[in-house]
Amino acid sequence: MNHFPHGWGRPRDDVYGAYNHAYLQPDGSKQHTQSPIVTGTSVIAVKFKDGVVIAADNLASYGSLARFTDVKRLRRFNSRVVLGFGGDVSDMQHLDRLLSTLSIREDYSSTASESDNAARELNARNLHTYLAKVMYKRRSEFNPLWNAILVVGLDGESQPFLATVDLLGTTFSAPTLATGFGAHLAQPILRRAVPDEAAVAEMTREKAVGVVRECMKVLFYRDARSIDKYSMAVVEKEKEVELVEDEQLEQQSWAFAEGIKGYGTQTV
Amino acid sequence: MASVFSASIPQEAPGYSFNHLSSGTREHAFNPYTDNGGSTLGISGADFTIFAGDTRSTSGYNINTRYAPKLFKIGGEGPSNENARIVLSVVGFAADGNALKERLDTVVKMYKYQHGKPMTVAACAQRLSHILYSKRFFPYYVHAILGGLDEDGKGALYSYDPVGSYEREQCRAAGSASSLIMPFLDNQVNFKNQYVPGSGVGHALEQRVPEPLPRKDVEQLVKDAFTSATERQIEVGDGLQMMTITKDGIEEVYSPLKKD
Amino acid sequence: MFIARSEYDRGINTFSPEGRLFQVEYSLEAIKLGSTAIGVSTSSGVILGVEKRVTSTLLETSSVEKIVEIDRHIGCAMSGLQADARSMIEHARVECQNHAFHYGESLGTESCTQAICDLALRFGEGAEGEESIMSRPFGVALLIAGFDEDGPSLYHAEPSGTFYRYDAKAIGSGSEGAQAELQNEYHKSLTLPEAEVLVLKTLKQVMEEKLDAKNVQLASVTKDKGFRIYTDDEMADVVGRLPTN
Repeated sequence: MNHFPHGWGRPRDDVYGAYNHAYLQPDGSKQHTQSPIVTGTSVIAVKFKDGVVIAADNLASYGSLARFTDVKRLRRFNSRVVLGFGGDVSDMQHLDRLLSTLSIREDYSSTASESDNAARELNARNLHTYLAKVMYKRRSEFNPLWNAILVVGLDGESQPFLATVDLLGTTFSAPTLATGFGAHLAQPILRRAVPDEAAVAEMTREKAVGVVRECMKVLFYRDARSIDKYSMAVVEKEKEVELVEDEQLEQQSWAFAEGIKGYGTQTV
Repeated sequence: MASVFSASIPQEAPGYSFNHLSSGTREHAFNPYTDNGGSTLGISGADFTIFAGDTRSTSGYNINTRYAPKLFKIGGEGPSNENARIVLSVVGFAADGNALKERLDTVVKMYKYQHGKPMTVAACAQRLSHILYSKRFFPYYVHAILGGLDEDGKGALYSYDPVGSYEREQCRAAGSASSLIMPFLDNQVNFKNQYVPGSGVGHALEQRVPEPLPRKDVEQLVKDAFTSATERQIEVGDGLQMMTITKDGIEEVYSPLKKD
Repeated sequence: MFIARSEYDRGINTFSPEGRLFQVEYSLEAIKLGSTAIGVSTSSGVILGVEKRVTSTLLETSSVEKIVEIDRHIGCAMSGLQADARSMIEHARVECQNHAFHYGESLGTESCTQAICDLALRFGEGAEGEESIMSRPFGVALLIAGFDEDGPSLYHAEPSGTFYRYDAKAIGSGSEGAQAELQNEYHKSLTLPEAEVLVLKTLKQVMEEKLDAKNVQLASVTKDKGFRIYTDDEMADVVGRLPTN
């Protein structure tokens, strides 16, 4: 998954040579998704001692056009699962409907009383497995859902859970994850803060939120398909999900970088 | 837009193990495959079989995660495969690898219910071949290695190509560092290019006869193979997952590899 | 058993208020009309024996096939509607070949029996939504003899889809008398030649015709030779060994 959604699911240029766009001429026949249209950029997430922080900005781009500036790409599934979507926005909305259906079906089939309801709800691992099957099935039908998804929350043992699934059905899990441009720009910063599972146990919620905010700023500075308005969610053990959808990027600095080597006039 | 990858990159760039398939043809639209890198190997001994795989998962030059296991227990009881006696390793396209692992695991568990006995490695090996071949025209893009103990209690190891051709071997390396590890194994396990000193001159030299290696020696070979592969192959590293099948069950060990 | 007969014996998938499936019970009756078949299991193999009802002197006795091969290591004897047995055996043969194809090993005797019994219930819809493929239950019972990795074994499969393993079992018209005889004569240390004699001796007692080498058939399943139908010479030999009385 590189930082450019149009490249996802396509033969890699370094292996197959430059991409041939000739196929884009419509021939009137039924076509599956061959490329994403309206896209969201990075989603980033990091685990901490008792939970997970996730963030994504509120922009949906149409190519290089910043088309929709108030699109919410984080979705609260229940009291212990939040999803973050990168890639095609219409496919994200399709998955959103699919998950609503799943959620309603689960609510009806669950006979749990209020008290132990949380224990019976689908946990983050359940949902990740489900989405992985949906995504892998669609890729196997040559009709992919053009997304990279982060699933965050708590697993069956109420431990922090963070995993991803993409349009090919590829899944993996790590203490920190980032899709799209975030894999290049945010992941190194996140990994410096939380290099391994041992570091997760040392990580506080405040520090995790801090490093995620820092990453969102870096992404806004360097990712041309981003915006300074973002959503952030925190899932923590024995707490309700905290989801804010209109966070403004604070403390931006656009001063001339004269003091920075390589930018200003320097005598050395 | 294509500028990111359009610059010509040296041939040493991380690529597919099946590069030749793409020469001269031009892919269109959606490509359902990717290569998640990494390497695996298996060695069978007199009364054990060892599997190993690095735990790095890559896409292009990115490291997806430093811990994505490529070794799976097959059969046994429940989702954690307790008391399993068969191991499958898969390297290549990880999503296909997982799908394949789950399919084989289901088959092996169903077999025990239907026939009232655990599946032998030989039977499992043939079944895996058919599963792979059943997707001959939309293959599972993986190099699989399957192993355990045979009916005589000897180490058994079977290696596969993506469409199901298979054979029983003493040892096999697969994945992005297979070209680095396999010659090493040929030399150290099957004693290829090793001759008995003073047994003759030129063609009269006698080949050193291979014999099953003790477990401690094999474990050291595995570690050497992976530390060396980590030095030279950018897709290999982070961690080493090892599984050893003996008459007492499966032992799993994790040890770190270089993370650079 | 006919006291409670009512309209409930029409539908094959309808329980009577007493909880019975009449058509299945009737199919068991059909077997009692069939020729007698006997199986005896020993430590070195299994012997199957059937009587051939030679209804006419013009009948070519070799065309009466009541013992057949399923796989190299499994054979079966039948009693009841022979035509029904054909489709069961066809199914069992396919299952055996499929298993060998997929797993590179021969199918176990019990698994083979289970496969046959799965088919026996297909007068109703299958468990995975398969359509009903038969209008009535089978009218045949089978004695399935095999030699697998666990050694020799003998199974009795009924039209109801149930099966049991036996040391010695008789089915068909003479089964009651024959089973009583087997009960008396069977012991665990029986040798294969002794079992041959026991099978024929028991058949002789329940057959209406006088037993000779032409109106009975024997087969064996052993480790080395697998399933084998006895030749005319071998039949004559065993008949010759029968005690005269």
